[in-house]
Order: sequence, then C-alpha cells, then structure tokens
Amino acid sequence: MLDHVPHFEIALGDAGYPALLAELEQPPQRLYGIGAPESLQPGLAVVGARRATPYGRTAARILAGWAAASGYVIVSGGALGCDQAAHQAALDRGGTTVAVMGCGADVCYPRRSVALFERIAANGAIISEQPWGTEPLPWMFRLRNRIIAGLCPVLLVLEAGLPSGTFGTAEYALQAGRTVAAVPGSIFAPECRGSNRLIATGAPPVTDTSELRLLLELEGVAAQADAPAASAIVEGEDAVERALLVNPMRPDDVAREFEMDIVTVARALGVLEATGRIRRYPDGRYGPG
Amino acid sequence: MAHASVRTATIMGVDAVPVDVEIDVGPGLPSFAIVGLGDAAVQEARERVRSAVRASGFDVPNSRIVVNLAPAPLRKHGTGFDLPIAVGLLVATKQIAPHLADEVLAVGELSLDGRVRGVAGELAFAVSAAREGLKLLSPPLTGGAGAIEGLDVRPVKTLGQLKHGLPSASAWVTMTPEVEAGVDFGEVVGQELAVRALTVAAAGGHSMLMVGPPGSGKTMLARRLPTILPSLSATERLETALVHSVAGVDAAPALGGVRPFRAPHHSASIAGLIGGGSPPRPGEASLAHNGVLFLDEMPEFGPAALQCLRQPLEDGAVTVVRAEGRVTYPARFALIGSANPCPCGFLGDPVKPCSCPPSVVERYRARIGGPLMDRIDMVVEVQRPDPALLLEPSGSRCSEALREAVIEAQDRAVSRDGAVAAALSGRKLVEACAMNQQAQRVLETSARMHSLSGRGVTRLLRVARTLADLDGDDGVAAGHIAESLGYRVTGRT
Repeated sequence: MLDHVPHFEIALGDAGYPALLAELEQPPQRLYGIGAPESLQPGLAVVGARRATPYGRTAARILAGWAAASGYVIVSGGALGCDQAAHQAALDRGGTTVAVMGCGADVCYPRRSVALFERIAANGAIISEQPWGTEPLPWMFRLRNRIIAGLCPVLLVLEAGLPSGTFGTAEYALQAGRTVAAVPGSIFAPECRGSNRLIATGAPPVTDTSELRLLLELEGVAAQADAPAASAIVEGEDAVERALLVNPMRPDDVAREFEMDIVTVARALGVLEATGRIRRYPDGRYGPG
Repeated sequence: MAHASVRTATIMGVDAVPVDVEIDVGPGLPSFAIVGLGDAAVQEARERVRSAVRASGFDVPNSRIVVNLAPAPLRKHGTGFDLPIAVGLLVATKQIAPHLADEVLAVGELSLDGRVRGVAGELAFAVSAAREGLKLLSPPLTGGAGAIEGLDVRPVKTLGQLKHGLPSASAWVTMTPEVEAGVDFGEVVGQELAVRALTVAAAGGHSMLMVGPPGSGKTMLARRLPTILPSLSATERLETALVHSVAGVDAAPALGGVRPFRAPHHSASIAGLIGGGSPPRPGEASLAHNGVLFLDEMPEFGPAALQCLRQPLEDGAVTVVRAEGRVTYPARFALIGSANPCPCGFLGDPVKPCSCPPSVVERYRARIGGPLMDRIDMVVEVQRPDPALLLEPSGSRCSEALREAVIEAQDRAVSRDGAVAAALSGRKLVEACAMNQQAQRVLETSARMHSLSGRGVTRLLRVARTLADLDGDDGVAAGHIAESLGYRVTGRT
C-alpha cells in the first residue's frame, strides 16, 4: 500500500523526532511513517467516536476544517467516524493532517478508506510506532492513543462515550499535561457522555471556531507559516464564509456588501456550499448549515 | 360538358399538402356541390364563389356544377379553396384563358365583392408551391419570405384581375428585426444573480425556473430575455415563421429574425399549450419554436397541461394524434418558468410572514411535477430589491453587451459540440466538459455532499459547460462547477 509515497523512519533522539512526543513517559522508540516527516509539528489533535453521530461529524468538519485552513496541523487516528471526518475536513480545506495508526503505517485500516489514506499521505503523513506490515490488534490502538495525545499541545474531543478509546486518549493527554477541550453534546446521547464528563471536570467547552482559536493561541501553538492556498478556488471565499456564518444573506446582498462581481460571489458560494461550509436556505439565502 | 382542374393545398401540421380541385360543369338541374371531405368552411365556399364571380363581371352558369377535392379521403378545411374553385369554374366555362390554371397553386379566400383575402398558413403554401415547382397564385403575402428558394409568386388582389391573364411576379420585401422597444436589462435594478442566470440560460438554451414572491420582478426579467437572444438563423426563421403562419399569427417578426417569446396565461388548455383542436392548430409550445416559452405562475397551470410539455422538451416536437390523423409541429424552445415560493407568496420573505401551512407549501411545489422538474436545468431565487436601491444610479449593464456574450458563447458551443449545452448528455457531455482535476474534485464533493442523482449531475455539468463557454474557456474549471451548483434544483436530486 502507498508504495509510491516516500516512507521514513525516525528514532527517539533523532533530530526530526517530535519534541513534545519525547516528553511522554513511554515515548515510542521509533516512528515509521509515510509522507512528509516535516508535517509532525505541534498541532491540534482531534478525536472522536468511531460510531459518530452527524453532530460529531459536523463538529469535526467545521472545527478541524477551520483549524486546517488557519494553518494548524490536524492530528487524528484515521478511524471511521469523527477521526476520518477531521482528516477529510483538513484535506478539503487544503490543510495538512497526520494520521496515527494502531497497525503498521503501511497497512491501510480500515481498508475501505484507502482513498482517504492516499490523500493523507500526499498532504501530511501517516505514522505508527509498529513496524512495517504489522496487522492491527486491539491492544495496539490504546497505545496509539498516547501518541495522538503526545504529539499535540491541545486535544479536542468531539464525541466520546464512557468508557471509550477516545476518553482514554483524553486521559493520556491530561497525564501528559496537555490541554484537553471538548465539544459539548446532548445530555441524552450516550456518544457524548464522555465529552460532557470532561467538561464537567474542567475541560474548556468549544462551541465555535473563535473559542478554538483562543485556546490554540493561549497554548501558543503556531499555525504553519502559510495558510493553504489550495482550498481557495475563488478569491474571497473565506471572507464571504465568515460574513455568512454570522448573518445569512442572498447572493445579491453579498455582492453589494463586498463590492464583488456577482459571478465571483456565485462561485464562492458554490464552493462553500459544495464543501458543506455553508448551506442554501429555501428562500435563497446562504448561511451556517 | 366542361372540365377544369386547379392545384391547391390544405394545411396539415406545418405542411401544405397538395390537393386538386376538379370542376365539372354539365347538364342537369342547376346546382353547386362540393364533395371530397371539406369542412363547413369549404362548403360555404359555394356562396362566396357565386357572389364573387358575379361581382367581378363573370357569369355563373345555370348548370349542374360539381367540385371534387382530390384526394377525396383527406379532410380539408379552411377558406383557401375559394380562389381555386372560382378559377376552376372560370376556366371550365372558358371565361378566362385556360392556361391560367396550368403550373399554378392557387389559394385564397374570396369576399362577396370579388376581392381576394389571405388565409392562415400562407408561408406553408409558398413552401409547397416552391417544392412542387408551381407558381403561387395568392393575395399579396404580408411577410417577406426571401428565404424560400425558387418561389414564384403571382399576387392577385381581385378575381376580376384574372381577365387580363396571370399577374406578374412580385418581389419580396426583406424584413428587418424589430424587438420590443424600450425594454433593456439596463433598466433592471439589482437582481444581479437573476440577470446572470438568464444570460446563462440564453447562452446554453437551458430551461429555468425563477422562484420569488409577487412583485419581485420575475415577469419583468423574463420579458427582457428576448433582448439578449441571438437573431434566428435563415433556416430557423423559416421554421418558426411557418408555424406562426399556420397558426394565423403574424409571421413578420420571425421572418425578420426575432426569436419568439410566448407567454401563455396559466388558464391555457392542453390544446392551447401544445396544440390540438379540430382542425389541429399549433399550440404555444410550437409558436415558441426556436425561442422562449415563458410560463408565468407555473404551478397555477393545469397539471395535465404542464406534463404535456415533457414531450416537446425531450423531442423538440409535438405530435398531436386525432381521429383524422396525426400531425407533428416543431417545438424546440427554452422553457422559462416563474413560481411563487408558496401559495401566499411570502415564504422566506424577510419582512412579511408566510401564512401557508407546510403541507400546503409542499403540495404547491409538487404541482410542477417531478418529471417536468427533471427537465429544468436551473432554478434561481428572485427577491424584491431593497427600495433604497431604486434610488441608486443604475449600473453599467445593458442588453447589447449581454447579447454579444451570449452569441459568442453559443458560437463556441456549436462549433465544438454542434449544439448548445442543454442538448448534451451522457458521454458526450462529459467529454465536452473536459474538466481539470480540481473541477472533478469539486464535482465529486458536491455530488456526495448534496447526494446528487445522475440526472442532477448531468444538469450541473450542462450549466457548467455553458458557464465555461461564457468565460471563453475550453475546459470546465472548479469555479464553473461551483457556480452551477448555485443554480441547481433543490428539494429534488
């Protein structure tokens, strides 16, 4: 799998070994990776349940998408549900993302997500502490969770049951002295019991992108130098998105407000809608989804 | 015993089918009979012919006159048989030179004082005469028809003229296009998106639905659509003018190159919309051939009438089947519809609340019907412009510039694919689009995100292809797909 992408190995103590990861009690002795080793920078870890609800996936899309577009590396576990939604959002916004695998980095698991892994490898890295070709076994995933927690100063929990692997990741992060934030969920949803418990015990709740930005800035996480240009299919789409999230508007009004040509506006709205960042209302206005 | 035979024709569809008028003047009790399946108007020709012949200084013999219209099984209708019957009678009774009826296709209605009047479908008769290599003996044609090759027309104003032989050939008047004066997109305030969408629809021949509350300017926008449509080509002029002529509508604008813009009222019946009746007449869909059919308040149209539009939208023609046979009328048009968002019209209005329960709104929207909506490529929301805008100086937009862009885009599409984008589908459409990688990615993402069906993707691509043509691009780019997504039909996929 992924033979055409460069493979790399970094041992503990090597120059390229992530400094934060080395601080763990039991840092991995050797990291096996596919893709770009320089993407292993302190970023935002985003984790959530495999059996994610639409709520969790939407939160992943909006929050991870924003962070990726702002230049933060998104680290997650490559699993189905929230993890993949976070990777996907980062990629769709042209950002960098790192998947930490439980099995060998070259073993695509789950197998049906090969296409996503290809994209991750091309726009970031897939790493693992397990040697090449290691098939997945349940205990490996718990170990993998400590690497996710270890790589980033901030961990964002989207949806977590109780008990769950995601909740376990949060515990690792707290042990390592990292900031754990959580997205508040429904009090009735078992998928949110863990994330709500985290908030009850002092984790800052994240309800929008500005809170997330504040959190990241407080922790001093640096955004990668250049915000990705790949996502900007049409100029001005980010400005349009920000305005629409606050105040839904019709295309004509957007054009007037921003003094933009209607064709540019129509295209920006189309791109934003295509990627699910905004939604078209029945009356023709565009706004948050 | 005296016989004569004169060529004429009867209208079937948009075609004039040759008919021979045979006249026999013979001994017997004085009578005047017309046989050969003529309708009431044909039967009445007896009285008109008798009076007109007398009024023109000829005699009607006191004999037994029998007129046979051959082929006898073909139903014939209309008043155009008056002139050939009169000519035949005069030739048979040797009151005018017999060669007058040779190599002539005669058609025209007679008035009691001997004047000759025009009949509906004069262009169809002209085409038929040219095809059969006959001279057309008819009242002076009202429209210029220089496009009909090999036509030799002999205008006749009164029956009495024929005493002096066949009238001399007349020259055609060339028509110049005339568009409704004083209408221009420059006068439209705001409505940037709607104007853009209309431009796209014009360039690609796309069907479009405008949704908006009453007074938002949907009709006003649609009325200006003809100002940005390219002129009809020579073949299109004749095609369209033929339908107009057969329907008894003034064919001069179509001959002058003006694309038809038909806006039937929503009380239109099926026959009125797609054609029918006895004798069959073309409906509004055919009158809009090569032009625009505008259905204002589309959900108010009878559901049965609306569904009948599916055939012309698919095949570009309407086939009307009646007991007396089937006729086909051309009907290739761009459908532009308008609709209120709900029965009260205020759903989504920022100021006025809507008073319709959701179930009523749903039922209202369903009136257009899924299969017809599937044939509509674009939907655009039209809103009442902010009153403050009315006071602002108007922009630099004008119909002339938009029209040039439309013509350029159409030329590009036709020279590449042989047709505008609305006519493409399947493999051919995908190949014509020549998408780059980014565009493909945006298309895939949007199709997944909005669970578009195959039909939905087809419509998206058609519109995107036209957008690229308007930009002068060979391939469809991501921006085109994105813009096209904004015009997609929501609610259905």
